[in-house]
Formats: sequence, C-alpha cells, structure tokens
Amino acid sequence: MSSDLVIKNLYATIADKEGPKEILKGVDLTVRHGMIHAIMGPNGSGKSTLAHIIAGHPNYEVTAGEIWYKDQNILELEADERSKLGLFLAFQYPVAVSGVTVANFLRTAVNAHRAVEGKDPKETAIPVAEFRKMLREGMKYLEMDESFSRRYLNEGFSGGEKKRLEILQMLILKPTMAIMDETDSGLDIDALRIVANGVNLLAGKEMGVLVITHYQRLLNYIKPHVVSVMMDGRIIREGGPELALELEEKGYDWLREEVIGHAS
Amino acid sequence: MPAKHVHQSETNWERFAALSELTGDQLVLAARTDGEPEWLIAQRVQAWEFFAQTPPPEWRRTNLTRLQPEQITPLIGTQGTLLHADTSRIPEGVVFKPLKEAVQSHEALIRDRLGRLIDPLSHKFSALRMALWQDGVFLYVPRNVQVELPLHVSYTLPHGSRSIFPYSLIVLEHGAQVTFLEEFISHDVTESVLAGPTTEIFAGPGSQIRFISAQHWGAGVFHLGSQLLLLDRDAQAEWVSVALGGEVQHIEAETRLQGNGSKVNWLGATFASGNQQLLTAPWLRHVGVNNESHMDFRTVVTGKGYSVFDGMIKIEHESRGTSTRLEEHAVHLTPDARSDSIPGLKIDTNDVASAGHASTSGQVDDEQLFYMQTRGIKRDEAVRMIVMGMFEPALTAIPVEEVRMSLTAAIEAKI
Ligand SMILES: Nc1ncnc2c1ncn2[C@@H]1O[C@H](COP(=O)(O)OP(=O)(O)OP(=O)(O)O)[C@@H](O)[C@H]1O
Ligand SMILES: [Mg+2]
Repeated sequence: MSSDLVIKNLYATIADKEGPKEILKGVDLTVRHGMIHAIMGPNGSGKSTLAHIIAGHPNYEVTAGEIWYKDQNILELEADERSKLGLFLAFQYPVAVSGVTVANFLRTAVNAHRAVEGKDPKETAIPVAEFRKMLREGMKYLEMDESFSRRYLNEGFSGGEKKRLEILQMLILKPTMAIMDETDSGLDIDALRIVANGVNLLAGKEMGVLVITHYQRLLNYIKPHVVSVMMDGRIIREGGPELALELEEKGYDWLREEVIGHAS
Repeated sequence: MPAKHVHQSETNWERFAALSELTGDQLVLAARTDGEPEWLIAQRVQAWEFFAQTPPPEWRRTNLTRLQPEQITPLIGTQGTLLHADTSRIPEGVVFKPLKEAVQSHEALIRDRLGRLIDPLSHKFSALRMALWQDGVFLYVPRNVQVELPLHVSYTLPHGSRSIFPYSLIVLEHGAQVTFLEEFISHDVTESVLAGPTTEIFAGPGSQIRFISAQHWGAGVFHLGSQLLLLDRDAQAEWVSVALGGEVQHIEAETRLQGNGSKVNWLGATFASGNQQLLTAPWLRHVGVNNESHMDFRTVVTGKGYSVFDGMIKIEHESRGTSTRLEEHAVHLTPDARSDSIPGLKIDTNDVASAGHASTSGQVDDEQLFYMQTRGIKRDEAVRMIVMGMFEPALTAIPVEEVRMSLTAAIEAKI
C-alpha cells in the first residue's frame, strides 16, 4: 500500500455567478509518506482550493485528474471517509459551530474514527476517562487553557486560538497525512513555536505533511524536505529547502518570467 | 435525593356538555358546585358570552380548519394537572398548588390578578380559556424568599379527554426568586384536541424568575395559548420557550418591562416537523426607564413543517434608555419545510439606548458541514450536532434534568 499522496493532472472549477471558473489547471504533486512538503505561491494561486479538494469539499467540481492515497482514488470518497483514511486539513479559516463544545466535537470525531461497520458504536466508543486524559494532555502540550474544551467550537476564538485548536484536533486524531493551510498566519512567535512542536511531534515516521505558507519563518521550525511553488493553478517548480529562501529573498516575479519565458 | 411527591387532585370525571350545546347556566352550576367565588363565576360567564358571540380571530398564518371544537366536551376537575414538588424543600409561605384549590385558600391573592394581564375578551379563544379553565396552578413566593428547587407542573391530557385549558398564575413578591417550569405533554391523538393554556406572571420589584415553558404535546393537538410576564422595578427574568409538539401552535407571548431597570433574557427553541405548524408571537414591550431585553429564538424545520416567528420589539412613549435586541435564526433541513420570520420594531420614544434585530434563515451551513466532516464525522451526524447546537442555549437553561433529557430526546428523534 502506498501512503504517498499523489495528485495527477488535477483540474477543478467552482461555480461562479458568470459560470464555472477554472482554478486548478493541471496540478501534479506527490507528497511522500513521512516527508514534509511545503507549497508556496502568490495569493489566489489556488493553494487553499487544492487543500479543500484533497479534503473533499463538495462545492468544487473536479473536471479532470486523480488524487490517490492508500491505493484509493479519494475523489470518490466523502470528506469524512477521507478523514478516516488518515487525511487531515488544518484550515486557513477554521469554521465556528455555535452550541457545540470543543470537547463534544472532538469526542464525536474520535468515536467516528473508532467506529467499525456493523458494530455497536457504544462498543467502539472511547471511554470517557481516556478521552478526557487525551484531551487534557493535548491541551497542556499546546499550552491551551482547559476552559477551551467547554467553549463552543471556534466561536469567539482569536485567530491564534483557532490555529492552536486545529493542531489540537490533529494531535488527537493522529492523521497519517496532514495539510496545514497557512497555520502560521495570525500566530505570535511563541504560538508559532508551540504549533510547530505539535506538528513535529507527529511528522516523520507516522505522518506526512503538506504545509502551505507564505513565510520562511514557519519553515525554520517545520523543516521541509521538498518545496513546491504554485502559480495560477499549477505547480510550476519543485526544489529543496533552499527554494523557499530564494523566494523569500526575490519574490515570485523572476519565477513567473522564467516559466512564462519557458512556455513561449 | 428525597422522593418526589406528585400530587394530583381528586379525580372528578364529570364533563361539561359538548361545546356546541354548553350553556352559561351549566357553567355557573359547575362553578357553584365547586364553591367558586362570585367574582370568578361572573368572569367566566362574561367570557363565555363573549366566546359564544364572537367569530374566530382571523389569523393569517394559523390554519384552524382541521380543528373541530364543537364536539369537544371539556372535563370538570383538575386531573390534567400534575405538580412535581418535594414539599419538604419548599420554603414556608410559598404556595404551589392547583389554582382551583388556591382560589379557595388564597382568594385575596388571586382575585386582583387573575385575568388582569391577559384580557379574556381579546379574542374568541382567550375568552374560551377563561370560561372553561379547570386545570392550572397557583405559585406564590413571598417577599425576599428564594426557592432553590425548580417548581414544575406538567399539564397532560387525561385519558379520553379532548381539551384542556390550563391556567398558570404566578406571583413573586418583592425580592423573591423562583424557577417555574410548565410542560405540556400527552400521547398522540387522532381526533383534534384543543389545548388553551394561559400563563400570567407578576414579578414584583427586584424579584428574579426563570420561566420555562415547554410545549411537547403528542401529534394532533392544537395549542392556542397566551402568556404574559410583567416585570416590576429591577425585576429580572430568564424565559425559555420550547415548541416541539402538537399539530398547530399559536402562542401570543409578551414580556412587559413595566418597572424601571427591569431585564429579560428570552430564549426560544422551535422545531416543526411532519405537517406541524408552529407559530410563536413573542413581544418585548418596554414601558419603564433603563430596561434591558434580549430575545434569541432558534428555529428548525424539516419534512413539511412550517414555523412562524412573529416577534416584536415595542418601546412605549414613556420609556427611556431602553437597550434591546431581537434575534431569530431558522434552519431548513428539507426543501419542503418552510419558515416565516416577521420581526418588528415599533418605537414611540426618542430616547433609546440601543435597539436592533436580526434574523436569518437558510439551509444548514455547507462550510460547517464540511469542517465537521473533515474530522471524520458523517454528514447526518454533523447535521444532528449543528441542530442540537442551535438549541443548546435553551436546553442548558432548563434546570430539571428529566425534562431536559426528554426534550433533547424528542429533538433528536425529529432530526
Ligand atoms: N467559492 C469561490 N467562489 C469564487 N471564486 C473562488 C472561490 N474559491 C476560490 N476562488 C478563487 O479561486 C482562486 C484561488 O483561491 P485560493 O483560496 O485557492 O487561493 P490561495 O492560493 O489559497 O490564496 P491565499 O494565499 O490568499 O490564501 C482565487 O482567485 C479565488 O478568488
Ligand atoms: Mg489560501
């Protein structure tokens, strides 16, 4: 079984007022199991769209291409099934759900992961004490106040608190492939370190990471093996960690010229 | 925990004649037999005459065509009233008993209040309620007395009964504190049943009341009710309105912020499924100075369910410095389900601290569903959690665990 995430020639549109709008225009990308893979690219180039499509957002239409993970073309799976397969998306903009506490939400998610077809969910559910311990430890690791577990999901959370909660969810669900969409935005220096520690705790042997970011700063903490550049709905360049430094220094224009120069 | 005493008055299985044949004389006779005071009998007779002469109100959004009240033969007696109270934990001086008994034992406290907040002659059904009420409760909390234990009444349909007109009369003296929960429950019925409840609450100066009203009838019941909460100076109220059951509901409800510095926080949870039509018309009427009010109603409709929120903020001419906000949010789970939201704002003064209203309606939010699904939660389960989350503020405000659990279970069953 391959635990690489393999994206082949992916095209996707979104329904817009003026009709379908093409956002992904032939993405080819392989995130190897256990590797840290960074994607950088200008605003609006399609990074979050790619992340959403990998996670199974229903509003995009994939018009061509495939996404393979663990020997399945995951485009055929619902978002929840992809999660159970081991995929995780840390959202750029986490969503608030009023009236649903963090603890209740996470316990439901854990139990959904533990559920087995044909078995009574009560049998497979995590014992309450075990869940509490897991939650407490995760929150402690991320230096979150325990009161957060009783608050409603992302409701009234600051930007940084939301990002920390995304990492808490990752620690608890223990995915094998995590996509981090600008998890560093809105974090102060201390929070950035804490969040990066959380990712590094799982990254490596057990978990591959696709980290979407605009800043080298995060990559000082979460050290990528591979850096890809996305522009106008495609991956236009792949390199090692030094590519991120080069982009930080020079911006995207030189690359754009090179690529367009190539094409013409 | 000490045993809970459920006390119920002596069963009296007499019936009035069918509504179409009932006469004022029969009403008077029944009231005299029960030893009711003359003022009450006069009130009933006046209401009965009004009922007999008045056509039904023209409610645009409440369809009464399936209600056939003529054949209803109301019971005499209070067998539909169940008081749940551990009497050993009720402080001295507090009265909590069937209204019919209290009319005998505490006539002076009742006489000037019964029917004073809700005019029995406002329409045909309010008149019918006053003419025929038998079931009901009287709750009286003396000055500065705090009742810890929630006081809970269940109104039920006695076997074979096709109507009930329960009357809750609540009086809090200066500085008193109490939680009062009225619950309407029954089995499903196949012939139409008419429930006509009235609730009048007098919250004295500086008093605090938490009032929970849970309409949880079985299928087939028509619930045409009226509720009014009067807040005196510095009184504070939390009101939770839950509407889940029955076939048709039409509730006119009002918090009247009469005294200066009074406050109310009003939460609502309505869930219409099947062919249910559930209307609530909650009003916030501001009369005094520096009052604060907040209304937050949540509605879910599914199947062919239909709900109406006809909420209103009224600020009277003499009021000053009011701060008020009204919110209503409706979620449709199926394409055939409908909801109408008609929030209104009538301000007759120039001096308002703040006043606003907001209402939304639509399907379950796609982004919420997606977010939850990316954590492994199935779509149906995510919908269930979102709906339960909408009702969470109202449900957590219900202090009686059995009631909270049974309402929660009823909501889950409807999703
Ligand atoms: N629901 C939508 N409706 C219309 N356009 C959309 C929608 N979602 C994305 N787009 C458009 O698709 C393009 C790519 O957006 P996306 O969010 O994927 O960019 P991004 O690379 O993540 O940008 P950023 O760095 O700013 O986060 C943008 O032009 C955006 O406006
Ligand atoms: Mg983005």
